[in-house]
Amino acid sequence: MPKKYHITAKVTPLNLDYVYKFKIERGENCINCGRCTKVCIYEAHKRGKGDPRKMADPNTVVCRNCFRCIQECPRGALEKSLDKDFLNIGGSYWKSDMFITLWKQAEDGKVPVTGAGYRGPFTGPGFDSMWTDMSEIVRPTRDGIHGREYISTSVELGRKLNHLAFDESGKLLSKIHDTIDIPIPIIFDFPKDNLSPNVKLAIVRAAAELNTCIVLSPDHITADIKKYIKNIIPIISHKEIDRHSALIKTVRMVALDYDEEILSSLPELQDKIKKIHNVLTIVRVPATKSVEQIVSRLAKNGAEIIHVVADYCGMENDGSAGLNRRLAKDIIRAVHLKLVEDRIRDEVTIIFSGGIAMAEHVPKAMLCGADLTAIDLPLLIALGARLYEEPEKLLLFPEGLDKIAVRTVMHRVVNLMGAWHSQLLEVMGAMGIREARRLRGETGRAIFFEEIDNETFGKLFKKRETANV
Amino acid sequence: MKPSTVKIKKMPSRFKHQVPKYKVTRSAACINCGTCAKSCPYGVHERLEGYNKMSVPIDYKCIGFECQKNDFYCVDKCPRNALSISLNPMYQTLGDYRWTADMITGTWIMAETGYPPERKDLEYNTGNSGGGFDKLRLKFPAGQPKIDKFEISTEIPLNRRNDGRANVIISTPVYGGGMSFGSVSLPTMVSKAHCASLWNTFTCTGEGGYPEVLQPYNDHVITQVATGLFGVREETIQRVKIVEFKYAQGAKPGLGGHLLGEKNTESVARMREAVKGTSLFSPFPFHSVYSIEDHKKHIDWIKQMNPNALVSVKVSTPNDVDMVAVGSYYAGAHIIHIDGGYGGTGAAPDIAKKNIAMPIEYAITKVHNFLKDEGARDAVTLIASGGIRTAHDLAKAICLGADGAVIGTAEMVSLECVRCGNCESGRGCARGIASTDSELADLFNASHFELL
Ligand code: SF4
Ligand code: SF4
Ligand code: SF4
Ligand code: SF4
Repeated sequence: MPKKYHITAKVTPLNLDYVYKFKIERGENCINCGRCTKVCIYEAHKRGKGDPRKMADPNTVVCRNCFRCIQECPRGALEKSLDKDFLNIGGSYWKSDMFITLWKQAEDGKVPVTGAGYRGPFTGPGFDSMWTDMSEIVRPTRDGIHGREYISTSVELGRKLNHLAFDESGKLLSKIHDTIDIPIPIIFDFPKDNLSPNVKLAIVRAAAELNTCIVLSPDHITADIKKYIKNIIPIISHKEIDRHSALIKTVRMVALDYDEEILSSLPELQDKIKKIHNVLTIVRVPATKSVEQIVSRLAKNGAEIIHVVADYCGMENDGSAGLNRRLAKDIIRAVHLKLVEDRIRDEVTIIFSGGIAMAEHVPKAMLCGADLTAIDLPLLIALGARLYEEPEKLLLFPEGLDKIAVRTVMHRVVNLMGAWHSQLLEVMGAMGIREARRLRGETGRAIFFEEIDNETFGKLFKKRETANV
Repeated sequence: MKPSTVKIKKMPSRFKHQVPKYKVTRSAACINCGTCAKSCPYGVHERLEGYNKMSVPIDYKCIGFECQKNDFYCVDKCPRNALSISLNPMYQTLGDYRWTADMITGTWIMAETGYPPERKDLEYNTGNSGGGFDKLRLKFPAGQPKIDKFEISTEIPLNRRNDGRANVIISTPVYGGGMSFGSVSLPTMVSKAHCASLWNTFTCTGEGGYPEVLQPYNDHVITQVATGLFGVREETIQRVKIVEFKYAQGAKPGLGGHLLGEKNTESVARMREAVKGTSLFSPFPFHSVYSIEDHKKHIDWIKQMNPNALVSVKVSTPNDVDMVAVGSYYAGAHIIHIDGGYGGTGAAPDIAKKNIAMPIEYAITKVHNFLKDEGARDAVTLIASGGIRTAHDLAKAICLGADGAVIGTAEMVSLECVRCGNCESGRGCARGIASTDSELADLFNASHFELL
């Protein structure tokens, strides 16, 4: 049994304001009777510090929406509404509730648990239109969740052989490629936004702490960050390989930005890099309309690792009008299927990023066909960043973040990944799958809305449609 | 059972105020003439004894925009045009996609009065989730001869195997879900059992053992044998008419249960025959069941112990739920109880509630068809749960192929749960959901009424 991978969470509050959901206001007709102080078990209501005859303003951040003060105030003096910032933050992909749960996971590193049933819409676009399967009768993988049995979340990066060849005397002829193991199917993608030095260093340190990697452009690799070079994947243009040869000598993987030249020259480029140092090459390809064709050609040309990058909402990058742009789920499935058709899927590693916003997106992306995922925005949301989709993408950092200790920032990132790791275990435990590698492309263990809805109600809805005609 | 046989008691809310849907605003133009107080028959406007000024309007009593057509409509009556009516922003904080504010309010009204709401402004039968039950509509054909409500039978038999065991018939095709001792209070369990006996149906003990106070209701209690086998004893198996094997729970399929040490109090521990203060795991799945054959062994064991009892098998809804159902039928189960992913629970990881296993709407059809193809459909009872919120959901579930349904969250809401989701938070339910039995019975009446 391999050594157990464990992420140690440590409660790390961040003393900065963040979004909250419910706003409580006390009306003028309050008679300061103090009933609300007794009924709110979360202590949102307190008497004034200076003048205990008067009520203090409600501490609305702690409100958990139980309605008791509202219903029990003798005067009906309290009003509750959804906070404005809560309503404005995010957009149609990054839902307001996500910010609050990511923020909380970064604080305590725990799997979000609530009472009462599911509250969301029946389905939604993209990842929200699939469910993961479970097994009624399986090996007791629940034990794995509690650590008595091992569920491995590690994945392997690199080129793999389709088959092995031996000579007549039984000696291995094939040259086995090098691969790199990382213990969670998540790497960090460096956010391009201007980060303060403490945040930058903290995220890199978190990647090192977690034993995963972070994609970083060379000019960000400052002296304090160099210490973690083994966990850094520098991203460069293929024209700059020589210029960065000193850097390449120190790393395990290097990422090349895709352009058309790479399509044909990949084997030479990889050779050139290998000559400098034994590192794996990642080709970073934007998720355009024809991404599966590009990926397939790269794979046939010997690509080791291909990183498919969708936009921050998990959408195709170049779609003309917004309507026909594919979403993460369909992009990954298309790429995976194309490689399966070309009988080359098992040889190459696919990383997917863009719109990976919640823990559930990781196993879902893998079920659709990715080997692993890369994330950026959740790391920043964990630190209090606010994201607005409309009118255009806007990321705001809380004031004072640049003064927070590196260790605090790092712990929050580690906590977030700890919570995600535990959630991944929950999903895998339910499915009875004990190795994350086996999630890849297991569409048989997923339930897709389009398919099952058509199977179940297809006839029904179709009949009505024709009847209407 | 006919509509009139259970007595309905009016059960007012425990709270002083209801959650308002509308906001009645009085502007500074008000001259405190008191016209509105005289015209509104619902008591929204008041001027207290000895006061010159009108009190702040009591929003929750207002019936809203539909009042426009009344000649007492205060907005028109006010000589100074000081009044206006709008949707109350507070209403947005109540409920969610599945349980909308209207549905919660409607359920509260049903639990209070025993009848469907008279208000026309509440969409209380369908939620806003945009799929499944919320996308299906019942068709009420026009021009059908009206059937006398007293002639409609809502009975269903639970034993369709013809195997000489008890011929259990319930009067309404719905029974109460398993909520274990420890997760709900004893009074709640008793009131559920009392309600079940009034309506000649069942309630379920959940997996936490069989409290002795439920003994008077033995004929209306299903006792559960869950993976932790907590509190399962020969006597408890022998005293009931139905024993339920719980394989999994829809809201956290594949994840088993976990009772925190601090919740394992003296009485809970005694009931579960466990050591007080220790964390108790219900593993997943049954560690002794790896095949349908093992499963049959368990069912036979129950059947031996209680020669008259029916056996129900509760499973969640994976892709192969149809196979599991047929397997259970061959293993000898009388009732297949499928629990969909969108149902309620005391506490579950959000990731499981949302993502694992399929919604009940698909599972019902899948299981129904598979049993039919197997020629076994008429020999088992198919019960659905996990997302049955209203009488309309119940009817839709039956149309899709179920025989009946189990409700859980609806029961909690009738006891004035607001679905705030804090029940897990260690401090327990912020609203102290304990119950008075009549509220529950009233809900049953209202849904019965609606079903007819
Ligand atoms: S219960 Fe109402 S009246 Fe009493 S102090 Fe609180 S807000 Fe004021
Ligand atoms: S609604 Fe509940 S949690 Fe919120 S302030 Fe009032 S009593 Fe406290
Ligand atoms: S609108 Fe009708 S119900 Fe509402 S306050 Fe005015 S008179 Fe009363
Ligand atoms: S804590 Fe909230 S959701 Fe849970 S039972 Fe109480 S009112 Fe309902």
